[in-house]
Amino acid sequence: MPELVVKSVTMEYGTVRAVDAVSLSFAHGELTALLGPSGCGKTTLLRMIAGLEAPSRGQILLDGADITALPAHKRKFGMVFQSFALFPHLSVAENVAYALMIDGVPKADRAARAARLLDMVQLAGYGDRRIGALSGGQKQRVAIARALAQEPSVFLLDEPMSALDAKLREEMQVELRLLQQRLGITTIVVTHDQREAMTMADRVVVMSKGRAEQVGPPQDIYQRPANAFVADFIGRTNFWDARVYGGRLMMGDLSLFMTPSANFIDGAPVRAACRPEKASLTAPEGAANTVPAKVTFVRTIGPTRDVHLSTPLGPIVVESPVTADSYAVGQVVSLHMPPDAIQVFPAEVAA
Amino acid sequence: MSAPEAELSADFAASSSSPAPVRALPRLPIAKALMALLIAGLCIVPFGLIFAISLGHKVEGAAWVWGFEGANYQRFFVGAMWPDEVSSMYLQKLGYSLYYAVIASVLAVLTAFPFTWFLTRLSRAAQARWLIFLLSTLSLSEVFVVMGWDILLSNKSGLPMVLRELGITDWAKGNGLFDWARSQGLASPRDFKFKTSVFATVLTMAYLVWPYAVILLYPPLSRIDQSMIEAARTMGATPARVMRTVILPTVRLPLIGAVLLLFVLLLGIYVAVSVFADPAQQTLAISIYDEVRGATLNAPFGAAQSVILLVTAGAFLLMGQLILNRRTT
Repeated sequence: MPELVVKSVTMEYGTVRAVDAVSLSFAHGELTALLGPSGCGKTTLLRMIAGLEAPSRGQILLDGADITALPAHKRKFGMVFQSFALFPHLSVAENVAYALMIDGVPKADRAARAARLLDMVQLAGYGDRRIGALSGGQKQRVAIARALAQEPSVFLLDEPMSALDAKLREEMQVELRLLQQRLGITTIVVTHDQREAMTMADRVVVMSKGRAEQVGPPQDIYQRPANAFVADFIGRTNFWDARVYGGRLMMGDLSLFMTPSANFIDGAPVRAACRPEKASLTAPEGAANTVPAKVTFVRTIGPTRDVHLSTPLGPIVVESPVTADSYAVGQVVSLHMPPDAIQVFPAEVAA
Repeated sequence: MSAPEAELSADFAASSSSPAPVRALPRLPIAKALMALLIAGLCIVPFGLIFAISLGHKVEGAAWVWGFEGANYQRFFVGAMWPDEVSSMYLQKLGYSLYYAVIASVLAVLTAFPFTWFLTRLSRAAQARWLIFLLSTLSLSEVFVVMGWDILLSNKSGLPMVLRELGITDWAKGNGLFDWARSQGLASPRDFKFKTSVFATVLTMAYLVWPYAVILLYPPLSRIDQSMIEAARTMGATPARVMRTVILPTVRLPLIGAVLLLFVLLLGIYVAVSVFADPAQQTLAISIYDEVRGATLNAPFGAAQSVILLVTAGAFLLMGQLILNRRTT
């Protein structure tokens, strides 16, 4: 049974609709990532779930009970803020024990639980330190321990990694995921970093312009994006405009096959897409879906290489493993896009 | 510490050990000498002169002469007739200076705090309008403000009249409140009476420094991270609890600092005290004026009182600094 349900929740600021009739359910123990660009409404949705903002319309249910009008201090969902929001006038242990102090837990019990939580986030022995004496990663762990101290039914994190450097961020993503799995707590993470969402989440909600564009497991979203926006936002994608005739894509004299064939009426304008890693420059002899191209730029990034091409479809990037083959700028090559690598979206919802 | 944290710390250490490219100020000995001269001219020389004058003595029927004696200080603490007679009149005046300044500064900060807090919750445009209004009130002189309060608290046309006309005076007479006000010197046998009273003195003094209190509290309150308040709310704290456990402790130092600063400013208030305080409850500032320019004309004794007032202010500032230091470590 889903633990937390968001039903047609809408948030309007004057004439601006920040969240537009979003309906989602969050299963018990699952980690869901709200993913989208800045201003897509993901943080507003999280704040409404926390009780920090009241929705203009819609309902929020917890185990069937309507908590839409319940203020934040009565919901007591643990929340980690982007800035960590630690209290500078309290020590690390006092920060962690804050919720317990509010609950009236005796001082000795508070200290013991704070010590256990600090141990859990690998900060044993840091209890007496001042907040200002901690590094970014340590502050984040304190914020996590503090939010978990009240043993919340729902754990919310608003861009928790954005204040950390790239290396630490990746480590903390894994650490946080392991901790969440160990505790089995329903968790919602807001992020604009698709890599972060892919690393941590059981389920990803891709948001744009206040709407949930697609909901599903990370790999499903990557492999089968619901629309051009999702395809563009999750991973890298080559896009070009085309028309559909007889289930094939037509671009001037060029014709490309797809598997399955495009289910559009003849002449329909579409937005076609192909992931860089699915295109190749080594087409089998006489293969279909081959497009003449010219190399414009080559970039080698560790084990892979990006070859930027100028083609009749427009600029295309091909990602391939670094091999003995080398490509020079200006070289004429054959771009091959397998029929099952091409995805087609209606032109009107193009991002 | 885990490996990444150790790395991070090492990075921080490396970055902090390399000196930042700070643009050195040009060495201008003349500019430095001028600055030293300015400080000496504006602060040290006047204070030195006052101190030197305080060691002189008045010549009856004439002005005063330089000297090197502590008679004026002795007179301040034990009276002119010591050892035959001990008088603490000037210590009492100092006591009233401290009493009014403490109450008025605390009152100003206590009332300015909620106002400033709600001010920081308003839109930027509304905040700017309020701040401009408050800054403009600073252009009013002490004399002008005191005149205004003099009218507001006057027995015939001010607050006592309003209370009488509204029937509050009669109501207070019926429930014993009027008798209590009389015992506090805030009522005559027939009406409420605020002139002269500690209430009117302190109220006017607090009003005089109120805009300063707002201006002093505005920066720390507007800098409070909103997410700290929200974090406390998600952890079960009611708005009142958030105020008590997060906001007030966060701005504790600016609050104490504001009280100290206003207290020192209020030690020297003259017009409000001379108008609203009972003659027997007037402050050292009034006494200093009397000695220097007023009826008694005894510049060395006035200078000695000035030095004592300055040292008292300094002692309070030092005490505040010690308290702040102890609380931050």
